[in-house]
Amino acid sequence: MLSRVAASFYWLSRYIERSDGMLRMLKINYASSQDAVQEFTWEPVIRIFAGLDDEESTKLENDSRAVLKYMVTGKTNGNSVLSIITLARENARSVQEHISKDLWQCLNEYYHTIKDPKLERALQREDPIGVLDILIKQVMLYYGTVEITMERGEGRSFMNIGKYLERAIQSVDILDTKFGSIDDNPDLLTDTTYWKHLLLSLGGYELYLKTYREGFEAENVLEQVALNNDFPRSVIYSVNNIQRYFERLKNESNMDDFRDLSFQIGRLQSRIKYSSVKSIREEGLHTFLTQIRGELYGIGNKLNEHYFAHS
Amino acid sequence: MQESAYFDKYSPISGVWDEMYGSNSQIRDHYRKVIEYISRESADDLNKKEELAKRLFMSQGITFTVYNSGEGIEKIFPFDIIPRIITASEWTFIEKGIKQRLTALNLFLKDVYNNQFIVKDGIVPIDIIYSCPHFLREMYQLNVPHDIYIHISGIDLIRDHDGTFYVLEDNLRTPSGVSYMLENREITKRLFPDLLPQCGVRSVTEYPTILYKNLLALSPRQIANPTIVLLSPGIYNSAYFEHTTLARLMGVELVEGRDLVVNNHKVYMKTTTGLQQVDVIYRRVDDDYLDPLVFNPSSMLGVAGIMGAYRKGNVAIVNAIGNGVADDKAVYIYVPEMIRYYLNEEPILKNVPTHQLGNRDEREHVFKNMNKMVIKKTNGSGGYGMLMGHAATEQEIDEYKIEVLKDPRNFIAQPTISLSAAPCYMQGELQPRRIDLRPYALFGPDGIEIVPGGLTRVALKEGSLVVNSSQGGGSKDTWVLNPPIP
Repeated sequence: MLSRVAASFYWLSRYIERSDGMLRMLKINYASSQDAVQEFTWEPVIRIFAGLDDEESTKLENDSRAVLKYMVTGKTNGNSVLSIITLARENARSVQEHISKDLWQCLNEYYHTIKDPKLERALQREDPIGVLDILIKQVMLYYGTVEITMERGEGRSFMNIGKYLERAIQSVDILDTKFGSIDDNPDLLTDTTYWKHLLLSLGGYELYLKTYREGFEAENVLEQVALNNDFPRSVIYSVNNIQRYFERLKNESNMDDFRDLSFQIGRLQSRIKYSSVKSIREEGLHTFLTQIRGELYGIGNKLNEHYFAHS
Repeated sequence: MQESAYFDKYSPISGVWDEMYGSNSQIRDHYRKVIEYISRESADDLNKKEELAKRLFMSQGITFTVYNSGEGIEKIFPFDIIPRIITASEWTFIEKGIKQRLTALNLFLKDVYNNQFIVKDGIVPIDIIYSCPHFLREMYQLNVPHDIYIHISGIDLIRDHDGTFYVLEDNLRTPSGVSYMLENREITKRLFPDLLPQCGVRSVTEYPTILYKNLLALSPRQIANPTIVLLSPGIYNSAYFEHTTLARLMGVELVEGRDLVVNNHKVYMKTTTGLQQVDVIYRRVDDDYLDPLVFNPSSMLGVAGIMGAYRKGNVAIVNAIGNGVADDKAVYIYVPEMIRYYLNEEPILKNVPTHQLGNRDEREHVFKNMNKMVIKKTNGSGGYGMLMGHAATEQEIDEYKIEVLKDPRNFIAQPTISLSAAPCYMQGELQPRRIDLRPYALFGPDGIEIVPGGLTRVALKEGSLVVNSSQGGGSKDTWVLNPPIP
C-alpha cells in the first residue's frame, strides 16, 4: 500500500473518531447545562477540543449556543466538527479507490449534512440535542459501513490504529481535565452529577452502574476509564487494539521498523496493564497521564517516520 | 403518432439539424420511444427526476469545487435528463471515421518524431511543426511500445445544418470526461427504469476493462502482475473525480507525483513495505509538468527523472509524451492530407474548413469577415481565449485582431458552424439546445476500440454555441442503439 494512502486512512479515521468524541461531549454538556444549579462552564470542553487560550475561552464559556456554534459549525475554528469532517473527507477523497463506494457516499453525506445551512440554524434556534443526534447518527452510520463494507486488509489496520490512538488520547485528555478541575474545586469530588455526566459523555454510564454498586466514586470512575478491559472507551482497551491491529502489519520486508514500533506499543501496554488505581494515586494521576500521553504521541510520530514516509 | 404535449410544444431552431425533430415535423424514429416514455410522465414527475439526478451526483461526490472567498463550494456538472440518441448506422460511420483518423494521426506522430517523411515530401510545412509548443525534441527517436502514441483519445464531433458530421478538434493528450459517460449512464438507469433495454441501447461499461487490458499489454517487464498506476495531479484537480473513478474501476493504484521516485532509471512507488517498481503509468498530468528535470523545473506534480526511465524503456507512459503536436489546431488543418498520405484513403470524417492566420492571404480574408468566424488559439482548450465573431462587439473584435497580429501562427479561424440541436428538459418543457459529441477511442496492440457512446456536451444557455463546462455547458447521457431488427 502507498505510504500516502496509509496516512490518509489513518487520518481519516482519527478525524472521524474525534468528531464522535466531540459530539457526544457537546451533547451531554449541553444537557447538563440545562439542569446546572450553579453557573455552568464549558471551559473543559473548549480546552480539550478547541485548544483556545484562556482569554478567548472566557468570552465563550458561559454561552451554550455560542459554544455550540463555534465547536460544531464554526468556520474560523480549525478544530470544529465541520473543519475536521472536511479534512476527513479530503483524506477519503484522496483514497477513494481504496475505500468502498458505500463508505465514500456515507462520508459525503456526513459532510453535506453538516454543511447544510438549515442545520446551523436549527443549532441556534431549535433543540441542539436533536441536531447533535443527527450528526452522531452519521458517525454511527460510518462505523457500521466500515464494519460491513471495508476489506480486511492493511488499510483497515491503519484505520483502526488511527481510531484507537485518537480514542486513547481523548480518554487521557478527558481524565486529565476532569480530575484536574477537582484541584481547583474540591466540592466536585462528591458531586454525583459531575461524575455521572462524565460517564455519560463517554458512553460508560450503564457499565459503571453494573460494575460499582456503591454510587459515584472518583477512583472507580478512574478505574473504569483508564483500566477496564471491557469498556470500549478506556485507555487500556484502546491501547490493546492499537497493539492488535499493529501486529497485522507485520511483513518480512520492513522488520526493523516493525520491531521498533512494536516495542514501543508493547511497553505502553504493559505500563497501563500493570498499573492499579492505588499505584496511580501514589505516583500522581497527572504524572501518570502525562507520561501515557507522551507515549501515545510517540507512537504517532513513529508511524509517520516508518510507515507514512514523512521524514 | 402518439399525442405528446411535450412534442407539440417543441419548436426546433430553423436552419439547424435537430436530432429528434425530423424534416416532416415528425419525431425521428430513434427518438420515438423516449418521447412516448416521458409523455406518460407529468412535468412534476420529470422535475422530481431532475432533482433525483442532482441528488445522486451530489451524494456520490461527482462534483467539482469552486473556491470562493476562502470557502469551497461543491458544484455538479449540469446534467440534462433527456438522452442524446445515435442510430446504429450513424455510429458505424463515426466509428469508421475515427479509426481511420486515429490511425493516420498515430502514424504522423511516429513519423514526426522519427524520419519526418511527411515534411520531406512537402505535405506538412516544417515551420508549423517546429513552431508548435507541444512539439518536444525530447521525444525524437524515442521508441514507444508497439509504436502507439495515442492510447486514449477523444475526438470532438459536431453536425452541420444538414446533419453531416465534422471533426471540430482532436484531443490526443489527456482527454477528460469519460467518467461522465459512465456515470451519466448509471444515473439514466435510475431515472428511466426499463427504458434502456426497451430501446436497445448498447452498453458502455466495457470501457475500463478495455483500457486495463491495453495498459497491461504495454508493460516493459514480462511478468505476471505488472504494476499499473494512474498518475493524478491530486485532489485539487477539477478532474480528480474521474481519476479515482477510473482507478477504482480498473483496480489500479492512484498515485501522485510525490508517491513516485526514480532510481537507476526505474520508477518506484513508496509503499508501507518499501519501494515497488512501476511498469505502466496512465498519467493525467500534462507533459510540461511531468518531469521537472526535463520540462517545467518548478513543477511539483511530476517525478524527477521519469523521462529518463521512459527513454530507457523501463516504464510505459500513456498517452505518449509530445502528442500535442498532433492535436495542435494549426496541424489539424493538415489531417485530411495526412490520411491521404499515410493511408491512401479519402477521409471519412470531414474537417471544419479552417484558416491558418499565419498565412497572410487567409488572415486578410478572415479579418474582412470577422462576424462569420470563430477564432481560436491553436493550443487553447476549454473554450478559453476564443472569439465568437457573430456575438462579439466591434471593440472586442478590434482588440482580438491586435492579439492575433502579435503572433498569427497561434490562431486559426473557422466559419461559424451552427451545431446540431437536441431536446433538453427545461422548466417543464422540451427545448432545443446545441450539442456536440466526444466518443472515446482506445488504441491498444490489438487495434482501436471505441466504446459505443461518449460524452454529449450541451450548451444550456438559450442560443449559445459554446458547450464547454467552463462556459455554462452541461452534459447528456449518450445512447448508441443496436441495429434495428429487420
